[in-house]
Amino acid sequence: MRYKEYLKDQLPAIVTHILSMLFCVVFLSAIDMQASILLILLVFWILIAASYIHIRFFLRKRYFAELLLQLERLDKKYLISEVMEHPILTEDKIYYHLLKAANKSMMEQVSESKRERKEYKEYIEQWIHDVKTPISAMKLICENNKSDTTRKLMAEMEKVSHYTDQALYYARSENVEKDYLIKEVLLSEMIHATVAENKQMLLQNHVSVEVKNCDYTVYTDEKWIGFILNQLIANTVKYSEKEPQIIFEADSKQGQILLMLRDNGIGILESDLPRIFEKGFTGENGRIGKSSTGIGLFLCKRLCEKLGIGIAVKSKPGQGTTVELYFPKGDFVKVQE
Amino acid sequence: MHQIMVIEDDPVIQEELSVLLKSNGYEVILPKGFFNIISEIQKSPPHLILLDINLPVQDGFKICSEIRTFSNVPIIFVTSRNTDMDELNSIMLGGDDFITKPYNTSILLARIASLLKRTYASEHAEVMTFGEVTLHLGNSKIEHQGNSVELTKNELKIMAFLFRNAGKIVPRADLVEYLWDSQLYVDDNALSVNITRIREKLKQIGVTDFIQTKHRQGYLI
Repeated sequence: MRYKEYLKDQLPAIVTHILSMLFCVVFLSAIDMQASILLILLVFWILIAASYIHIRFFLRKRYFAELLLQLERLDKKYLISEVMEHPILTEDKIYYHLLKAANKSMMEQVSESKRERKEYKEYIEQWIHDVKTPISAMKLICENNKSDTTRKLMAEMEKVSHYTDQALYYARSENVEKDYLIKEVLLSEMIHATVAENKQMLLQNHVSVEVKNCDYTVYTDEKWIGFILNQLIANTVKYSEKEPQIIFEADSKQGQILLMLRDNGIGILESDLPRIFEKGFTGENGRIGKSSTGIGLFLCKRLCEKLGIGIAVKSKPGQGTTVELYFPKGDFVKVQE
Repeated sequence: MHQIMVIEDDPVIQEELSVLLKSNGYEVILPKGFFNIISEIQKSPPHLILLDINLPVQDGFKICSEIRTFSNVPIIFVTSRNTDMDELNSIMLGGDDFITKPYNTSILLARIASLLKRTYASEHAEVMTFGEVTLHLGNSKIEHQGNSVELTKNELKIMAFLFRNAGKIVPRADLVEYLWDSQLYVDDNALSVNITRIREKLKQIGVTDFIQTKHRQGYLI
């Protein structure tokens, strides 16, 4: 609050004083009052009125400064009406009530949206669990009636179950911490299971698979890592060129287990590389007609962060892509056993 | 022959699962309704149980803990619920394995096989014979009239699959899938190469024309 602005607000009061003074001077001169007495009267009047306006300025300034300080200290600013002191002045009281009413209605809106979001999320999770039963049934039917047609269907079914998984993990990825079980997992076993899950898709696309030196144990959540590997394999197939190839290779490095997933696909532009983990980013490869959603790698990154796994991508257009996953050794888990 | 009980409320899955298990050499028991599952298991104990979690009357966890009061039969939970609480519960209550839908059949079959092998002594034939040719699975050798030759991992698996389906035409796609299920990622070209090598090896021990190629259909022994 600045003094000038405050004075501007006080203008009606100042004008009233000046008018009253003028009236007094005119009236008292008319009844032959001595000029010296008039002067004293005016001087005191001006002194008292000015000091009132002045003191009030400092009081108001202090009041608002305290309020602003309180606001600044608050983490959730909208709670200011809950913590501020009850005002004494009528005008302040009105503003206080306005603030409270506005806040209350806003809170109601927020909690309503939160509830709706939660319900929707629960519905999505339920839906995904429900849809898995018919997907399993379809897979089994195909398995029991093998032909070229059902093999193609199975490859498509693998995509469907992959997309449903993506939706499930997207819904859940906000609170991974509530839903994981760290176990000792053999990398090679995990890789073989993921390849098996994508068997038809890989066979239909004539992808050659190689698993080299992957007999390392890591401590992680099998389900989440399975999802990440699935996503990476799906990408490899999606962005493949002729004679596609995937090589899984592991290595122990500086107390970490490094899993490399190498392909010989179309690769990623250097300018796109820093952004591939961004949500909704599709890049050049997305533009050239591969149906890309920009969700897969975003989810991978998010899950890796939650699981404490490092993820890095190296790639050059035309020279394939290498995804590196760094698993922490996790000695503390061993100690607990 | 091992008997597997399938406790599942979705009729299509139950039926297709039965077909799958039967075609892989298991006998399937289906419970009659969901009210007397426990007593049915007590009457005719199966070698392994596939158990869904979401079931009418009683959920899978309850059934599992009741079974554990009288039997150590291996139990695999098969479910579309896959939170870690479910997995943890299934382990705590004595389940031996936990597979989530939509499962991959080769994974399911592999888990069943390994669990049965762990629980009951292996009854698998280590030696397979067709005609005058004998395949030794234990030491990866093929033998004919006293002459034997060593096979690689890929070659052994190919021969094992052909022996198992002796007299039937084995489509190349089936063979490739079988190899993938055994974690040997052999593509179509490599399969041809492997078959050629096997034929050469068979020639060394005096067997010719053992594996016939059926054009556009597959292989036959």
